[in-house]
Amino acid sequence: MRTSSRFHAVTWLLWALAGAATVQLAPSPVYVALVIGLAALVVEVHRLDTAMARAFPLLLGLGVAFALLRVVLTALTTHGVGEVLFTLPEATLPRLLGGFTVGGTVELPVVLQAAAEGFAVVGVLAVFGAFNAVVSHHELVQATPRAFHEPGLITTVGLAFVPSTMVAVQQTREADLARTGGRRVGRGRLVRQLLPVLESGMERAVHLAESMDSRGFARTRGGPRERASGWCGLAALVSLAAAFVALVGRAPRTASYLGGLGLVLLVVAVVLASQASRLTRYRPRRFTSADAGVAAAVWLAPIGLVVVDRLADPALRWATNPPAFPEFSPVVAVVIVLLGVPALLPAPRRDDGGAP
Amino acid sequence: MSDAIRWEGVAFAYPERERTLEGIDLGLAEGDLAVVVGSSGSGKSTLLRTVNGLVPHTSGGRFGGDVRVLGRSTREHRPRDLADVVGFVHQDPEAQFVVDHVEHDLAFVLENLGADAATMRRRVEEVLDALGIAHLRDRSPSTLSGGERQRCAIAGALASAPDVLVLDEPTSELDPQGAEDVLAAVGRLNADLGTTVLLAEHRLERVAALAHRALRVEGGRVVDDGDPAEVVAGYDGAPPVTHLGRLLGWTPLPLTVRDAQVRARQAGGGPPPPVSFPVPAPGDVVRAARAVGVRHGARVALHPTSLELRAGEVVALLGRNGAGKTTLLRALGGLRAPDEGTVEGEASVAYVPQDPNVLLFARTVRAELEETLRLRGRPDDGRVDRWLAALRLEALADRHPRSLSSGERQRVAVAAIAVGGAEVLLLDEPTRGIDAPSRAALEEAVRGHAAGGGAIVLATHDIELAARCATRVVVLGASEVVADGPARDVLSGSLFAPQVLRVLPPFLTVDEVGAALGAGTASGPER
Repeated sequence: MRTSSRFHAVTWLLWALAGAATVQLAPSPVYVALVIGLAALVVEVHRLDTAMARAFPLLLGLGVAFALLRVVLTALTTHGVGEVLFTLPEATLPRLLGGFTVGGTVELPVVLQAAAEGFAVVGVLAVFGAFNAVVSHHELVQATPRAFHEPGLITTVGLAFVPSTMVAVQQTREADLARTGGRRVGRGRLVRQLLPVLESGMERAVHLAESMDSRGFARTRGGPRERASGWCGLAALVSLAAAFVALVGRAPRTASYLGGLGLVLLVVAVVLASQASRLTRYRPRRFTSADAGVAAAVWLAPIGLVVVDRLADPALRWATNPPAFPEFSPVVAVVIVLLGVPALLPAPRRDDGGAP
Repeated sequence: MSDAIRWEGVAFAYPERERTLEGIDLGLAEGDLAVVVGSSGSGKSTLLRTVNGLVPHTSGGRFGGDVRVLGRSTREHRPRDLADVVGFVHQDPEAQFVVDHVEHDLAFVLENLGADAATMRRRVEEVLDALGIAHLRDRSPSTLSGGERQRCAIAGALASAPDVLVLDEPTSELDPQGAEDVLAAVGRLNADLGTTVLLAEHRLERVAALAHRALRVEGGRVVDDGDPAEVVAGYDGAPPVTHLGRLLGWTPLPLTVRDAQVRARQAGGGPPPPVSFPVPAPGDVVRAARAVGVRHGARVALHPTSLELRAGEVVALLGRNGAGKTTLLRALGGLRAPDEGTVEGEASVAYVPQDPNVLLFARTVRAELEETLRLRGRPDDGRVDRWLAALRLEALADRHPRSLSSGERQRVAVAAIAVGGAEVLLLDEPTRGIDAPSRAALEEAVRGHAAGGGAIVLATHDIELAARCATRVVVLGASEVVADGPARDVLSGSLFAPQVLRVLPPFLTVDEVGAALGAGTASGPER
């Protein structure tokens, strides 16, 4: 049983950002596949025993579905490049809907290009999924400024509803089968299966809200600092909006002044709200030297890619026209493998709970 | 002694409903442990919620009178403002965790109260010890058993060192072992720390021994208030030994098996047992599992097990959590294809899940039953009314299922599935968390279905249910059948025999004693 991670939540956040940046810098499928493999390795070593740990396969599946959809849509709407694979019946949409042609020739380079781009999205989602599987979300909340503590907590509580809702969906489906005697009756099934899930979820949410209220959640309100923070926040939003208007109106100098003012006010609002909060934090986690080391090592991957790209100009993108196998550079691969550093440092084994 | 909680002329009605509470004038002394009893829908849960202001601040509705907790009025203080003096725990152990980590969840109330780091550290360690959950500190609540989870929830309410602890049916969702652990912990807190406890509970045999005072709520009023033994004795949901004592005219009425054994010795035993108890002749095999084994991944959920169900049988499937009861039921019901062996039988089968909430969606109870017939393409030849009557749901037929109590919902779920006409009904924990009237209705429907030629399997922890209903008892342990035979034989040899059997063997139930008493009177009583 493991509920707290080997590394600080911020370390994992930096790791995920490094992974996403690596995919952006080297979107060739060979390198993306390497990143996905490293993410899977990190999940294998650092996975937590919490309800969110199933995020990795879930998001990976979501990414693949999205990539397939993208390939189909792109192949149907992009034409005139390279070797034709086969031809479909075509229809031209009316001008109002864009006026482009759907169907017709399907070309190999278009399909490969779309697949490669889709695969890069899978890579980013894999990194994000791995992040969710290894990070303690509560630690993440504790690492935010105190002004964001309550909204952050509400977000994690909301996220926790996802797995329990999936279990409820499964149970409802079985209950429906019990009712129909094992036959699948299509008519009204959505209502029969959705309503119990929604209503039970609602009841649970009300109970949880009562429990949080009874335990003093959102207890302190309305001090002078809190009010000042509110006004600062409002002023920040107004000046940022004004900066945007100025930008559209081609007054870059005014826009930059207003934008700067808005940012300063925003920071002041967050600082004031954090000071106003009387909330304390139980055993906040320290950012250790191991954390710093891992964060630095993994960021060497994207930084290294930029350097290698400047010096050696390897093909980080895949040229699909004319079709050819993507190039592979061992130097690039070595740089990317740095993302796997956390997997080299597994959590020390210990007894369940640590109690005698 | 001063009052920890004081209700003055409290009346309350939920929005657009009739009065739920009326004319409550009460005081609860500091250090008291009071148990609130009453049938579901009587207003006991509402009464508990007035203590920390969940009623009326969260519920809405019309509130009259005043509740003062250590001098603080709930009219001016919201639940969150009372978090330092009142800890509140409710029945659903799943819906009380904010953080996916036990230790941090315990600290939640302290963080909200703004306690300093040193106090938090010490307090969390103390409540971990007070409830005996130190070994669970690094676990995720989602991986704990119900009893462990509920003890963690109590620890979470206790972390602020409140003077008053309010628990709304904390054991209703738990198995007997989990319930024992939770109640023992509550008793210890009251005795050792002097925490004032207000508790709604239906496991009265255990609580009556702990409590100093009992309140009985019916129709929104406190109708009885006093010594637990006296209040519980007059109540429907009293333990079987109390009913036995009432039948045999024992005074004072016993609450525990030990009391009852003493009274039985003083009174010289019960009526003479009949020469033999009637044993119904089993019918044909309607459904059979032959060497059925089930694996969940690498874990064995059920070792190869055989079970034959015959027409007219009520089989009680006993065993601790994780013993494989639900897995066997699901295999019998065809919801889970077995990894080994086969399930045979032509008879139609229906499985009623543990949680009725996964099933109910219609606007009225009647529509819920009619929907099943529509799905199965069967005409309503009076069976809807028949099943409504069998489960005593006629008066609730036009209510919304979600507005009912958990016991009533459970009955609706059974009716909604049984109305489909399955010969074999598989009920998973049907009596968990339900009150005495619902339980009685359910038992009657079960016996009626079996008498009509059907077969029923009850997966349950409830040994008294098995004693009253079952013709046959199967005990599962470590994913295997460890005992299988006629109910009387299996239960008699058990360490956890039903209460009446332990007081007046070989009787299993109060009804059997009553029947023997009737027969005995005709042929000249011995006592």
